[in-house]
Amino acid sequence: MTKILLVEDNEMNRDMLSRRLQRRGYSVVIAHDGEQALSLAATEIPDLILMDISLPVMDGCEVTRRLKADKKTRHIPVIALTAHALVTDRVKAMNAGCDDYDTKPVEFIRLSDKIHNCLLEKKAR
Amino acid sequence: MSLQNLSIRRKLILITMLTSSIALLLSSASFLIYDLISFRHLLTQDLTTQAEIIGYNSAAAMAFKDEPAATATLSALMVKGDIVAAVLYSPDGQMFAQYFRNDKTLPAFLPSRSQEKGYRFEGRYLEVWHDVTLNGERLGTLFLQSDMRQWSTRAKRYASICLVFVLISGFLAFLVSSKLQKVISGPIVHLEDTMRMVSAHKNYEVRAVKAYADEIGSLIDGFNTMLSDIQHRDTALRGANEELQTRTRELEEEISHRKQAQDELLKAKYVAEEASRAKSTFLANMSHELRTPLNAIIGYSEMLEEEAHDSATVETVQDLQKIRSAGKHLLALINDVLDLSKIEAGKMSLHLETFDVSGMIEEIVTTLQPAIEKNRNTLRVHLAEDVGMMQADITKVRQILFNLLSNACKFTDHGTISVDVDQSTEQGQDWLRFRVTDTGIGISAKQKENLFQEFVQADTSIARKYGGTGLGLAITHRFVQLMKGRIGVESQPGEGSSFTVHIPAQVKLEAVGPVQAEGDSDASDAIVEVRTGRDTILVIDDDAAVRELMSRFVGKLGFNVLTVASGEEGLRLAKQVRPVLITLDVVMPGCDGWSVLSKMKADSELSKIPVIMVTIVDNEPRGLDLGASNYLIKPVDRERLAVLIEKHRLNRFTTITRTNAVPVSRLSHGHKHGKVDVEVSGRESHDKNLTSRR
Repeated sequence: MTKILLVEDNEMNRDMLSRRLQRRGYSVVIAHDGEQALSLAATEIPDLILMDISLPVMDGCEVTRRLKADKKTRHIPVIALTAHALVTDRVKAMNAGCDDYDTKPVEFIRLSDKIHNCLLEKKAR
Repeated sequence: MSLQNLSIRRKLILITMLTSSIALLLSSASFLIYDLISFRHLLTQDLTTQAEIIGYNSAAAMAFKDEPAATATLSALMVKGDIVAAVLYSPDGQMFAQYFRNDKTLPAFLPSRSQEKGYRFEGRYLEVWHDVTLNGERLGTLFLQSDMRQWSTRAKRYASICLVFVLISGFLAFLVSSKLQKVISGPIVHLEDTMRMVSAHKNYEVRAVKAYADEIGSLIDGFNTMLSDIQHRDTALRGANEELQTRTRELEEEISHRKQAQDELLKAKYVAEEASRAKSTFLANMSHELRTPLNAIIGYSEMLEEEAHDSATVETVQDLQKIRSAGKHLLALINDVLDLSKIEAGKMSLHLETFDVSGMIEEIVTTLQPAIEKNRNTLRVHLAEDVGMMQADITKVRQILFNLLSNACKFTDHGTISVDVDQSTEQGQDWLRFRVTDTGIGISAKQKENLFQEFVQADTSIARKYGGTGLGLAITHRFVQLMKGRIGVESQPGEGSSFTVHIPAQVKLEAVGPVQAEGDSDASDAIVEVRTGRDTILVIDDDAAVRELMSRFVGKLGFNVLTVASGEEGLRLAKQVRPVLITLDVVMPGCDGWSVLSKMKADSELSKIPVIMVTIVDNEPRGLDLGASNYLIKPVDRERLAVLIEKHRLNRFTTITRTNAVPVSRLSHGHKHGKVDVEVSGRESHDKNLTSRR
């Protein structure tokens, strides 16, 4: 079963997204903050990470940078989720090493397409 | 020192002396000559008289041939010191008796025989010949010779006296002229002194004193007048100078005042900009804060909707749909606010593309169908036959019409809404006219005043009754302005409204000066799109299809795209345009990608520009060795390319502060390729999520 690590600090979004992902047949691991995300990514080795960029303490960009710097987790595709509409956030996320991004509010169909593509790409590599 | 350079004083003395001396000499000489001539005449007469007397006295002696008597008579001449010789000649010319003042020596010039009577001057001597007669009978001839001693003595004396007089009068003349020359030279010297003083001390108050009313007097007058003029001007000049200094001081003060004011203005501007930035940040944060719960609302309702389709009742599904649509509405409103703040911050972009107007209208009508049906309105669409394609920002045109039509739907009940589209030409420009007419509640004249202003609805009660933020028309208005169009409204309260929008059929961005690919033999092969305020990416590929695709794709990312078909041209343009990034094909006729890459990396001007190889040749190590930043193999993975470009852009982006420079140019052949992206300012690319709404 495809495993997705969802990093999201907002409880409602976390709950909602995880339930919807599960409905789509993904297995979902949840992290509340950056540190948890790093440790879960290392232990669980998910197939994909959905990363909220605005996280307390350590933001999503930093988490992604660390993930991409680690040999164990480098291969995991990261999709950034950001509520910021500004292009700078997008660029920041991409530059941190995210493989794709989507803006909140999430349009679930679009997001699941992106997840699907990322997974395909990963397989192709 | 030559005569001409003598001082006036000396000249005057000299002239006077010369003149008087010449006059004196001439007159003395004439007196002398006259006197000597008359004295000689007197001497002659005297000698002639003596000759007559002696001739008379010696006549008897001659008659009697008494030589001693004759000699005695002649000897009486001894008393006459000047008689040098006296000779009596017999009628046959023989010397009869003689007398010589110096007995011992006979004068050498003594004539040997008698001559004609009369007197004559022989050398220094005066000679008189006189006939000695007795009773009319000629007895002989008397010869008298005088050395004119008296005459020469007189001449000498005269000359001495003359000389003495000349000397005395010369001395007197010198004295007199020395005194009198001052009459002329004095004022001139004074004038000269005055002049020297003026020029030495620049003292224009000094005046020369006029002594006499002669020519020098007028000269001094003239000089004084001139001095007065100069003094006057000097005073005026000094006054003007002071005035100038005062004014300069005033100006300096004024300038410093203004500078201060300017500083204050700048400070105020800075504060205002800060406030504006704060507002923008606030709006961005707010939108984040609002989107987070919205995310949950929309997400949960969607999720529940999906679940409810399987299990729950139709009513529940409908309710969930309402929650979701309300959430989406709220999202749209937030987007509106954000849009408006972006417009205000000058960050709103235009993404021009060429599209079919009828297709766009059709799409809008389909989307709006529910809204039209809600109030049981009828929609009539009329497109003029000549309406075809237009070049504009389709998203914004769509939103303009959306806003107008949804307003029409909202404020019209059981009425008719019509859309008319036609094309016209004004001032050499093609315009598309969109008219949205409804039969709704209409707008009063007073309401019209604030119609296009932000946050102002025609009536606050409207907000309660019909909802809405009051931003729709303001945004519509701004969008129209952005595309250099215009919007107008006609309305009668209670009878309906008619909004007319004019948009140029070819929306242009203010050209700032196109950069063309020079010297390119095939113009269509070199596509040059340069807009200020944007970065340029250079695409080097010999395949026209690849150039076209790359130019569209890279253009969408918010860059200028410059495409060329050959390596040589690529190198040339790279130097000219300095792109932020270059994509390079390997297999090209002529100069291939490897050599282009080597040349670029060897060129200090170009070596820092990142190069992404885009090729079918699978030789990544060689590309990276030669200095390529990345290596992509065709067919190109667009997402990957976009990510790489974003990365390179960010490297630059971090060093660039946002400018308020208003845009923007586009040019040359870009429109041939259907789509042209341009943003108004900043380097922000559009966000699909924001611009797709409802």
